Amino acid sequence: MKNEGKKETEQAKRLDEIGISQEKGEKQPFEVDRRSVYRCVQCGTCRSVCPVFDVVGWESANTRGRMLIIKSLLEGMPPSKDVLPSLASCTTCGICASRCPAGANPPEVVEAARTQLVKCGITTDAQENLKSSIMTYGNSFGETTDRKQWLSETERSKLPEKSDYVYFVGCLDSYRYPESAKKAFGILRRFGVTLLPDEQCCASPLLRTGFKEEAEKVMKRNLEQIRKVEAHTIITSCAGCYTTLKSNYPEEIRVVSLPEFLAEHLEELSLKKLDLTVTYHDPCHLGRHNKIYDAPRRVIQAICTLKEMKNIKENARCCGGGGGVRRGYPDISLELARNRLKDVPEGVDYIVTSCPLCVRNLRDAGGDIEAIDIVELVAMAME
Amino acid sequence: MDITTELRKIVGGRLSVSPSELYCYSSDASQVKGMPDYVVRPKSTEEVSRIVRLAYENEISVTARGAGTGLAGGAVPVKGGIVLDMSGMNRILEIDIDNIQVLVEPGIIQDALNEALKSYGFFFPPNPGSSAMCTIGGMIAYNASGMRCVKYGTTRNYVRDLEVVLADGTVIHTGSKMLKSAAGYDLTQLIVGSEGTLGIVTKASLKIVPLPKTRKLVIASFENAEIAGQAVVKTFSNGVIPSACEILDRVSLQVLKRYDPHLVLPSEGDVILFEVDGTESSAREAAEQIMKVCAPLTLSIRLAESEKEMADIWAARKLVGAAVSRLDPTKSRIYVGEDVGVPIKQIPKLLKRAQEIAEKFNLPAMKYGHIGDGNLHLAFFIDVLNKDEWDRLNKAADLVHKTAIELGGTVSSEHGVGAARAEYMKAQWGPALEVMRAIKKVLDPKGILNPGKLGL
Repeated sequence: MKNEGKKETEQAKRLDEIGISQEKGEKQPFEVDRRSVYRCVQCGTCRSVCPVFDVVGWESANTRGRMLIIKSLLEGMPPSKDVLPSLASCTTCGICASRCPAGANPPEVVEAARTQLVKCGITTDAQENLKSSIMTYGNSFGETTDRKQWLSETERSKLPEKSDYVYFVGCLDSYRYPESAKKAFGILRRFGVTLLPDEQCCASPLLRTGFKEEAEKVMKRNLEQIRKVEAHTIITSCAGCYTTLKSNYPEEIRVVSLPEFLAEHLEELSLKKLDLTVTYHDPCHLGRHNKIYDAPRRVIQAICTLKEMKNIKENARCCGGGGGVRRGYPDISLELARNRLKDVPEGVDYIVTSCPLCVRNLRDAGGDIEAIDIVELVAMAME
Repeated sequence: MDITTELRKIVGGRLSVSPSELYCYSSDASQVKGMPDYVVRPKSTEEVSRIVRLAYENEISVTARGAGTGLAGGAVPVKGGIVLDMSGMNRILEIDIDNIQVLVEPGIIQDALNEALKSYGFFFPPNPGSSAMCTIGGMIAYNASGMRCVKYGTTRNYVRDLEVVLADGTVIHTGSKMLKSAAGYDLTQLIVGSEGTLGIVTKASLKIVPLPKTRKLVIASFENAEIAGQAVVKTFSNGVIPSACEILDRVSLQVLKRYDPHLVLPSEGDVILFEVDGTESSAREAAEQIMKVCAPLTLSIRLAESEKEMADIWAARKLVGAAVSRLDPTKSRIYVGEDVGVPIKQIPKLLKRAQEIAEKFNLPAMKYGHIGDGNLHLAFFIDVLNKDEWDRLNKAADLVHKTAIELGGTVSSEHGVGAARAEYMKAQWGPALEVMRAIKKVLDPKGILNPGKLGL
């Protein structure tokens, strides 16, 4: 036999020995909480639900593969660019965590591993571009124009300097969907909500892709402004911003998603009934990560008929936009979106969602049914 | 000859030699490890045949792999070489209701097959706990079964015909669409359970059966596992054949409750889940009979209230094996000694001995499994960062295997032998192992097909 056995003993033994010899907490160059990694018993449950694996097909592109690779790095395999197609292609949608019988939280582990890779200088070009855009221009697109261009000069000058409530617009609505931002703020300003004077990216793309130190700096800039405005509540219409503001900013700040805010104020909004049937796509970071399932549905049902998608709530499939995948692996990302579009039921007028990243991916994936943000539906019902 | 170049000519981009990718194929759900040199994802019988021929000519090991959910290291390339990831060959080629069978590629997922069959009112009964992710090819290779084996049998009972690529690349069929045949050796049955050591399955014709009209679930708890075992023996001897008969000891129950806090399960004792199926009246009658027969031995006994309650209990039961970390996050379930089986009458003795072994080695364990067919899943759990616990675990597993053989049973009831249990083949089979070795020698003279497995 030409190649049999040559790796068998040494590899298997090496893997075993390293696994045990490093038990006593020796400092490793690659540091991820071992317990979180070893929770994975490699049963493969995640393999059946990982949306990236569905498209890519290689073991390294599913959660178990990613956990294995992270385990190998912990056990001494030198970090290299070779691991990036696996570890950088996770959308952190969290469907694996929701199904994992052992209770592992792979998105957290993957993000921790990405942070370590960044420390080792192992990143993709897309990651570096993203970081550079945010750190230089304060937004993920590298836009140089004013973030509040969707407001007129007069409107800008009338923004309250102090308020209990701030609308955190986010990069996507500021630069790609200014009409949505306008509609959302049009509703929110009635309740005395203001904007940050110099809002920066929330830092979600940095945190999801491993740039923890840079993220701290950006978050600090937002946080200083939030404190200056003396706001106790931040309202956001982006699921990515929501999860970041909620989980990564200090707990002193109350974070409310726009659908929650709308659902709380349904009566004050005087919404008309519309003769429409829509479906609702649960954004991963609003749904699975934060369990906000009912508020957007309440808002929709106050306006029109809701016809659910094939997989909803905990089981909703990812649109492919998160975790830096849209930027790093656009083909995979859009393929995920196309798969998600297969869950859309017959006979609906719109796909409604509560995240501009989902709106963009679902639109870019093609399909006959237009994807809109929930605020657009609400605006229609207020016309 | 540059093997990478040659493989690329066959599968194009569906070849990987990336160290990270190879690492992902160096293990399954067992503790067995082994690095491949190449991973390929073939799409057709022709590609498989060409790859195997190339391997044959160059004496390179070939290990077929489905979803890698195996618990014996069967899909782990312990001698390196090529891993054939068959999971991309996952089409249902024909649903032939008139002949009550389906023709599938080996990569089809068990649940996906049953989902497709549902609208026809049929199903493929063998249902391992991993049915949401395991492939039919893997089930054939390891003669998998699961919870409904007690009534419906194992994968073996459903395979009519296989398309198999032999070690030199030759493609054969082992059967036909016929219900029966008296012509020659039964090669289909030889391939089922052969763990990829005799050939690579590229297509399979499977018998399917009508979905039962209804299912009912009796949940009974007992003071201890031994008494539970006695209740099972008594149920069978009274002529009732449940469609599933599962034991869950008290540790397993705690794990299940952590996994799904909404489950209503007995608060004390060890539990048996008896499922019966059939028409409304036959299922009800069978359930009532089980309740009557078992009542004198139970702490509590009741009928599940709804389809939803049944579905929730089964869903949680399927994943209990991996869920032990829910009880103690520092512990992981390690799959060793996890699949022994004994004749039904010996079950109470096996349960007792298993408990003694767990105590002897001071290892926490849960006992669950298909008690209706004598198959016990003994789940030890340890702190994987503790070497001493690993040592005790391996000694305990060794004793469990030897105990099963001593009681006239088997070291593997449905997970297979692979590399994990290869050392026990001699003890279990005696001279019959030489017959297996002789068959292997004829069909795979160069020993390229999944070497290092089955104790061959």
